[in-house]
Amino acid sequence: MSQLQIPIEHTQLENGLRVVVAPDRTAPVVTVGVYYNIGFRLEPQGRSGFAHLFEHMMFQGSERAGKMVHIKLVNSSGGVLNGSTRYDVTNYFQSVPSNALERMLWLEADRMRALQVDDENLRNQRDVVKEEVRVNVLNQPYGGFPWLDLPPVANRNWANAHNFYGDFSDLDAATLADVQTFFKTYYVPNNAVLLMLGDVQPADGFALARKHFGAIMPNRSLPQADTSEPPQKEERRATVEEKFGTLPALAIGYHAPKRRTPEWHALAMVDQALHGGRAGRIYRQLVLEKQVAVDSEGGIHYPLGDVFDYNGPMLMTTRILHKPEFSAEQTIAEFDAVIREVQEQGIAAIELEQVKVKFRSDYYSSLEGGLGGYIPRFGLMHYAACFTLFDGDPTLVNSILDGFMAVTPEQARAAAQKYLVPTNRAIVIRTRSAAAAHTGAA
Amino acid sequence: MAFATSISDVRSGAAAPALAPESPVVWPARTVRTLANGLQVVLVESHIIPKLSGQLLFRSGSAAAETPGLADMTATTVRTGTASRTSRQIEEELRRLGADLGSSAGADTSAISFSGLAEFSAELLALVNDLARNASFPAAELERERRHQIEALRIERTTPGFLAGERLRKVLFGSHPYAIVSPAEEQVASYTREGLEGYYRAHYTPGNALLVMAGDFSAGAMLTQIEKIFADWRAPQPAASSHPDPPLPQGRRVHLVHLPGSVQTQILLGNHAITRKHPDWLRLTLANSIFGGAFNSRLVMNIREQKGYTYSPRSSAHPLRQHGWFSVGAAVRNDVVAATLTEIFYEIDRMRALPVGDAELADSRNYMSGVFSLGLATQSGLAGQLVNVYLNGLPEDYLETYREKIRALTADDVLTAARRYFDSANAQIAIVGDRAQIEEQAALFGPSTVYDAQGNAQ
Repeated sequence: MSQLQIPIEHTQLENGLRVVVAPDRTAPVVTVGVYYNIGFRLEPQGRSGFAHLFEHMMFQGSERAGKMVHIKLVNSSGGVLNGSTRYDVTNYFQSVPSNALERMLWLEADRMRALQVDDENLRNQRDVVKEEVRVNVLNQPYGGFPWLDLPPVANRNWANAHNFYGDFSDLDAATLADVQTFFKTYYVPNNAVLLMLGDVQPADGFALARKHFGAIMPNRSLPQADTSEPPQKEERRATVEEKFGTLPALAIGYHAPKRRTPEWHALAMVDQALHGGRAGRIYRQLVLEKQVAVDSEGGIHYPLGDVFDYNGPMLMTTRILHKPEFSAEQTIAEFDAVIREVQEQGIAAIELEQVKVKFRSDYYSSLEGGLGGYIPRFGLMHYAACFTLFDGDPTLVNSILDGFMAVTPEQARAAAQKYLVPTNRAIVIRTRSAAAAHTGAA
Repeated sequence: MAFATSISDVRSGAAAPALAPESPVVWPARTVRTLANGLQVVLVESHIIPKLSGQLLFRSGSAAAETPGLADMTATTVRTGTASRTSRQIEEELRRLGADLGSSAGADTSAISFSGLAEFSAELLALVNDLARNASFPAAELERERRHQIEALRIERTTPGFLAGERLRKVLFGSHPYAIVSPAEEQVASYTREGLEGYYRAHYTPGNALLVMAGDFSAGAMLTQIEKIFADWRAPQPAASSHPDPPLPQGRRVHLVHLPGSVQTQILLGNHAITRKHPDWLRLTLANSIFGGAFNSRLVMNIREQKGYTYSPRSSAHPLRQHGWFSVGAAVRNDVVAATLTEIFYEIDRMRALPVGDAELADSRNYMSGVFSLGLATQSGLAGQLVNVYLNGLPEDYLETYREKIRALTADDVLTAARRYFDSANAQIAIVGDRAQIEEQAALFGPSTVYDAQGNAQ
């Protein structure tokens, strides 16, 4: 396998804004992204869900582009857009025909420079976010399971352990002053990276970046937050009520090793061997062979992201829906047997080779599309942004695979023995509520 | 007033840089062949990443099966064993090739879709060929998948979006197979190995198939490889299935699915529309984009950005082979069900009554034509566009002429499409939520029938 050679050029403006350009003339299309190094881990205490609510506010208007103008100018230029909030980043992105490039930079610069929103906007988006939480969590079978259920059980630092979507009382408590403070603190050029991917030349992209973003003031006193987790000494467990779903469910999360270490590479290969689709050991043994479970999925940073796009403590999570004729304890025992097999016998060289091929192939697909494919080069943008903000080097996109491809069977087994132990894990059991048992089919 | 106007001008985005001159959109050349056995092959080179993306499609789906869901169970079970491969061997071989594979059936098609590393394309195609021709339907695999399907159906029956879609399709399509989106548990229980194999032998045939691939290969060499692998596949054409047209529902009616404990209400209303081959198709898609098919649309602006009733309102035109339907959906808080329906019908009737203004029309045409070319930028996007063209028998120059056709559409075209296909007078309104909280609101919009989550009328 030869190393990737995706052309990526980067620079930094005097105000601290990092700028990344990845030229590619395949189609007359350009994807423009702005990533801020602020995610839901760092939202203020008493304001759970605020980082995400704030993401909505960034679409509510800026000094020269009022409410809906950003969205209208992207759509009417022939493009699509979105934003999302994750553990360590909040991103804003649009794909447009490349003749709209400068217009997109103007829009992104205007809202980085001068967000301009009012109480009416805040009330409106608070309502919208509540419906988002209802449609994705509160009114769905297995809503928020396990991405909202597991972190509070597995973690002790509030940054990692709170409700990332937000308690409604906290959403209600958010004020316009909170919005302004958050904006001034974190939405500054020296806490962000601007990316242009596709039909754009680096020199042109850099010049346009300087023109539109160069005068935005940085925050010279960016807060440094502590997201570290104290060492875990014993297994942690909790039970959460399932209101709609008809099957019992459980999730198991292990703390993963620190990013960009040999152990991280090794556990990522174990993760792929365990969770890699229908060939993965957990799905194969629990669902296909022993038939204890009806479905299983999982991974490092599952289901919000992958091994590349976070920067702090993270779990490797397995989510299992199991048959009601097996208890949670029986299901966990079968899961433990899969883990024990990896710890005792390791992963054979031939399986490790297959896992690496699949890992590499998945990585290429992520770079090309990602996010359902509707944003071309989403993955390339996303990884280049994360590697810029977390590691200072977007070109890691071309070399990050190397460490994973070098993992040996011995390293994989050692990582499984060290990290996949009960004292490093949390388990959430989702049990059906009395109401669900009464009304559901069973 | 002057003051207010100047404020709004400053924030109107008028200061935004103008669009630069457009770059031409050049669709890559297609290689199209029909092999002697009838298999239609469409290839396009795309060297973005060292992979390929493809679909082997059969022009038969659940509408062609005797029992609801049988086509989907056939597709699901196809990947669980062949004459020479066990389920585990198939899955591990896919991993070895860096490949993903899915097999499923829709109303009109059954598909094996795949992607993988280009360096292993011959082996991946050989595996796809094996699944398409030599599936063995192992009894134990069928039993496991049967149980999974029943459990999945039970979970679907607690999912508001599923229940709304199921109810709307039932009331729109009546006795036509398009009415059924999921089988009943008893039907899943009735599937036999012989039934699956019968469907497979009849419909998974080369003359009924379309193979589309986009990827990092040379089209000429890939065609040779495909001929080598698929040329000796021989099987008779299935008889074309056809079903009488369902009667069109007359008069606005409410179909309320009671899901106890709901903290939100799923609204999905709709009516009959058209197929993709209908001459009005582009008119309809443009009208839909203005109404509720884009973020910058009237529906989203009204019930999300102004009123805050919902997170993701959307309207869509859904083309099937013999019919089509149009829908408007929103998940809203329980106390604004009536208010939301009022706004939806207001926006529909506005589309039907008044011609769209020049600026809004131009914006929407730009949106449609721009988004279309985003599909050029990924292998799976390209493959999807080609499937659309060749599965529906659209003209060979469809991709090249799409943008000019969209740009030629007028306000009159939009008005015509809205009057024909946004049928507010006969809209069928599916509503899923807690009956006690929403029944009175829903009843304001037409005669109501209440169902439980199992589909039984109350």
